[in-house]
Amino acid sequence: MHPATHPTSAPDGRTYRTLLPRRRLLRGLLAAVVALPLVGAAAACGDDGASDGKTKISIFWWGGDARAQLTAQALELYTSKNPDVTFETTWQANQGYFDKLATLTAGGSPPDIFQIDDNFLAEYAARNVTLDLKKYQDSGDLDTSKFPPSLLQYGVVDGKLAGLAAGENTQGLVYNKTLLTKNGLPEPTTGMSWEEHIAWAEEVSKKAGIPGTQDPSADYKAFWVWLRQQGKDLYSGSDLGFTVEDVTKWFELWKGARDRGATPTPDVIHEGNATDITKQLVVTGKSATSWVWVNQMPELKKNTTDELGVIAYPGDPSAQWARASMYWSVFRGSKNADIAVDVINFLANDPEAVKLLGTDRGLPSNMDLRRVVSDDTTDPAMKQSIEVENKLAETFGESPQVPIKGHSKVRAELTKAAENAQYGRATPAEAAAQFVEACKAAIAS
Amino acid sequence: MALTTAPDPTRRGTGSVRPPAPRGGTGRIRHGEGLAGYVFLSPWLIGLMGITALPMLLSLYLSFTNYDILTPWSEVEWVGLANYERMFTRDPSWWHSVRVTLSFALIAVPLKLAAALGVALLLNRAWRGVGLFRGLFYLPSLLGGSVALAIVWVNMFNRDGAFNSFLALFGIEGKPWVNDPDWALETLMVLAIWQFGAPMVIFLAGLKQVPTELYEAASVDGAGKFRKFVNVTLPMLSPVIFFNLVLETINGFQGFTAAFVLSNGTGGPVDSTLMYTLNLYITGFTDLEMGYASAMAWVFLIAIALITVVFFSTGRFWVHYSDGEDH
Repeated sequence: MHPATHPTSAPDGRTYRTLLPRRRLLRGLLAAVVALPLVGAAAACGDDGASDGKTKISIFWWGGDARAQLTAQALELYTSKNPDVTFETTWQANQGYFDKLATLTAGGSPPDIFQIDDNFLAEYAARNVTLDLKKYQDSGDLDTSKFPPSLLQYGVVDGKLAGLAAGENTQGLVYNKTLLTKNGLPEPTTGMSWEEHIAWAEEVSKKAGIPGTQDPSADYKAFWVWLRQQGKDLYSGSDLGFTVEDVTKWFELWKGARDRGATPTPDVIHEGNATDITKQLVVTGKSATSWVWVNQMPELKKNTTDELGVIAYPGDPSAQWARASMYWSVFRGSKNADIAVDVINFLANDPEAVKLLGTDRGLPSNMDLRRVVSDDTTDPAMKQSIEVENKLAETFGESPQVPIKGHSKVRAELTKAAENAQYGRATPAEAAAQFVEACKAAIAS
Repeated sequence: MALTTAPDPTRRGTGSVRPPAPRGGTGRIRHGEGLAGYVFLSPWLIGLMGITALPMLLSLYLSFTNYDILTPWSEVEWVGLANYERMFTRDPSWWHSVRVTLSFALIAVPLKLAAALGVALLLNRAWRGVGLFRGLFYLPSLLGGSVALAIVWVNMFNRDGAFNSFLALFGIEGKPWVNDPDWALETLMVLAIWQFGAPMVIFLAGLKQVPTELYEAASVDGAGKFRKFVNVTLPMLSPVIFFNLVLETINGFQGFTAAFVLSNGTGGPVDSTLMYTLNLYITGFTDLEMGYASAMAWVFLIAIALITVVFFSTGRFWVHYSDGEDH
């Protein structure tokens, strides 16, 4: 703890010589501290790029490498046709995507265009984050004339067009064809009742030694289709579209299936409840079926060497609908909203762009172009999923309303309640009562 | 040390109060040095203010609002104590996460400290290659709260993981540990206990400080190994035990990464791994109830502060500082 010594001071002990450099140093430091944020601010201003007559549109999506490449190519095509518009693309895996999107929105700088799904569309639309695209639709700047009406309708929240369907998909029950053929078992078919499906699965478990079907009681999309077949729905206005009795019946149906040995054990069901494609039981070989979306077939196929088949969920297939697999939404506060809308119009309706994008985000929303893309597809798994979806499109029912605010919590609560019943910690009736109570709290807040 | 300016009290006078002559320099220089100190501190100060203090205050404000991330600040509504009321009176999953976190901390922390102390006692002897063992035991805690480690753990304790293969050697049929609601949290506890390296190193350092003459005196008095441990080692080590206890308890309450990875961010199976911080994260970012999540964070902060206060106030009954005797 000696006082600071001055190694540079002259032998006579005077200290003024060090004074000047130190002051200078201090001033320099202060200047640096003060100037840094300014530099940052100046750089930030430069980002707008409005000064050189060019517009930069920021665009954000989730997905893998393949999607990133295809999307980048489509956007380059846009730039080549509109040299004044360039893009700032950001993409990442689905996990964490919505955290980041919410944080960007909170920071007041969400991207001009962002990809979103029906899980969150209502959340964002209700809080006025998304631009209402109705105006552009009316003026013709956004061409939706070739869209199936129900698909377009599935982007409407509170009378506003909050998102433009970037692709279409529907529920698909994927099964392991190789396993069935090997054991001389029949393939399941669209239109089988739930009882028939469970009986079939029991047969598979017995003969093939692998559980016949993943228990989908924790899966909201299976529950939803089943509800629609009972004349109910997941939501009705701002309320739930089902009662405790409905949920009890649903949980009991699957308790019966588990008791008959048609499904895997609860811990394996839990593994399959993860949304991750690579963990689906049909590709990990732990069950003969998985409850997924039809357009996930090609991705599933990449994770197994077995032949896969895909059909509609059991029961009346008209309970299924043209669901937007994901949407493009435009940020309401975007300074370049008109251009952003033009870009999503381009991605949906430009023949070359749609061809480039293929079925990566689902079947193209533009029906004319969907036919072209279908004919051009060479990937057998892709071809198969397109065929099945086109077939199902003939019987599609009317679209339900877009899931309401609190939907992600409802999904989580369904998983919790169903697993409670699966692990035998609650009876179906108890789990159902607990689920409905939790849902009411979730959508009320 | 010669570069720091603040700690020397004699140099803190204002211009009018002059320190003894030999120190040299004038008041203005001293003033300048103080400023220099702050300038050099500024990266840290700016960080503390901007990244810690300010957001904390904001979150205190948000905890009284219905902030949902997406709504602009200007439209946020003040809801008074509603968030706190909801937490204590009608949020079963909050109470559940409190129970999960408490049972995690109450079991994992003492066991981790016991393991750390036990291994430190073994490694405190002069073996050949003891340095290697110290390194090896410390290694797991270097990996810290890493995601990779949690993934390895999940795969080890799967139904067809390495641990069950090991059990199978003895004819024991394992369980799907990480996918069983009765065992998932216990699996996380084992992971936490296994990372006992950091407290162990501190225990080792503490053990080295115990004067050997105390042991010699105890031997002369006829004390056995156990008596020496209870009457010499433990009291002499008590400040270090106290330090580790406080630190590890706070760490234990804040467990997040492993639970997040094991449950894919859901707290499952059936909420068995819904640690407090994980619940907070889900509330804030998945359910978008950031105001409520902020209230949860503040209750958490106060709870941890209270526990620490309890530790400090009971400490004087069992923590012995040898300072007084040394002099």
